Amino acid sequence: MAQPRIDRRPPATAGRASSLSALEPIDTAPFRRPSSTLFVWGSLILVWLMSLLPWRLWQPAPDLLLLVILFWCVNEGRRVGMLAAFIFGLLMDVHDAGLLGDRALVYTLAAYGAIILTRRLQHFNAVVQAVHMLPVIVLAEAVSTIIHAWLEGAWPGWGWLWSALFTTALWPLADILLHLPQRRQEEIDSGAA
Amino acid sequence: MQGHGSLRLFRRGPTAEFRLCVLAVIALALIVVDARWREALDPARKVVAVALYPFQRLVLAPRDAVDTANNWLDAASLARSEKAALQQQRIELAQISTHAAQLSAENRLLRRLLNISEMVSQPAVAVEVLYEPPNAFARHLVFNKGSSSGIQPGMPVIDEGGVVGQIVRVTPFTAEAALLTDDNVSIPAQVLRNGLRVIVFGSGVSGKVVVRYLTGDSDIVPGDSLITSGVGGLFPAGLLIAKVDSIERDAASGFGIAVASPMSHPERYRHFLVLRVDTPTSGPEASQEAGRDGSTSDR
Repeated sequence: MAQPRIDRRPPATAGRASSLSALEPIDTAPFRRPSSTLFVWGSLILVWLMSLLPWRLWQPAPDLLLLVILFWCVNEGRRVGMLAAFIFGLLMDVHDAGLLGDRALVYTLAAYGAIILTRRLQHFNAVVQAVHMLPVIVLAEAVSTIIHAWLEGAWPGWGWLWSALFTTALWPLADILLHLPQRRQEEIDSGAA
Repeated sequence: MQGHGSLRLFRRGPTAEFRLCVLAVIALALIVVDARWREALDPARKVVAVALYPFQRLVLAPRDAVDTANNWLDAASLARSEKAALQQQRIELAQISTHAAQLSAENRLLRRLLNISEMVSQPAVAVEVLYEPPNAFARHLVFNKGSSSGIQPGMPVIDEGGVVGQIVRVTPFTAEAALLTDDNVSIPAQVLRNGLRVIVFGSGVSGKVVVRYLTGDSDIVPGDSLITSGVGGLFPAGLLIAKVDSIERDAASGFGIAVASPMSHPERYRHFLVLRVDTPTSGPEASQEAGRDGSTSDR
């Protein structure tokens, strides 16, 4: 069952892909090289530090930390999972001086959504992946907003929905940036071949 | 690296839901406990906040550096304009202080007559805004000093205009204040003109506070100044809070609402004073402090 996934085939270069185009439907998922641990955690910590800056005062601002956590949940599910999402959420809760556990819940729920979608998302490009992530992010944010509205007795408006939309819209950009080291590696490999 | 997919399928598939349940239940429990019993989670929050503090300072360092450079460059022109403003202020203050000295002499006499204990002048801590938390539900500011500087929850925050807000949470190095306009804040107040005691509530809207539950015969008109009454013990009496803009009478409920603009400007300045009053939560340190000052609170 796992046999097709253990695939030592080197990544197809552009020239060879055209000659083997008849084979494409059999295995459309590209061979994925794992990202380096340092890069995964480095990017998470960098985005977390960026999130401590005051630009998020604008309520529809995208949640970059959530975006990067979800991205690594999808692409490096063995390293970054719900526990990491939960811990980063707690850190943001303390910084935001909000309810303790609020962001933690959002990040955990969204990470779960990303994890169950992982196998499906591998077959699509970044734009289609973003379309898949939109309901995950909106649902996770909605749960937190509803709990908030229930505790505060007031509806906070729809700024959070814009935030979720912007976060999703940045998914393709995250895909380009966070896969840069692998692209470079692939280019080196294809050059050597 | 190899077997990546198969391992995940068998080992992690079934546990994802379990993990979700555990983490979601923890998060929900935290939210509910934090919303209902504010102090319960404060120790945990303090630990995380202390760990966060160096990172917050680190990422805000560029901003502070730019600020410092700007201040340094602007210092000369600032000094000139400040000098002009100060000179004008000095002239105005000279008149006011004469008047105030006269009033305070008269006041001292009256207080002695009424056998009221002298109002102690409060020790204060100057604080600077560290950042404004991005929170759609509350209007708060985070300051750069905390319980290590003697700040406790409940202490009032003032600027030169008057009351800015109240400290609601402290960690060893930071303090969080709810602004006057936060709808969870209420302050016992008085109308300066006639001494009418009212309570000023935050409206949740920037730049507005309201006085609720005014009966039909309440003597309060637009232009009245609201000052703290000292009732309740937290806010010292006589701090300016707001100026009344308009009165809305509601014929259905029989109560009126006065809408007022705060005289303090938390959005304009970065430096504020926290008054170190005795708070119910400040415990032995505060009473020690009071004892050292030679005054005891008789609450």
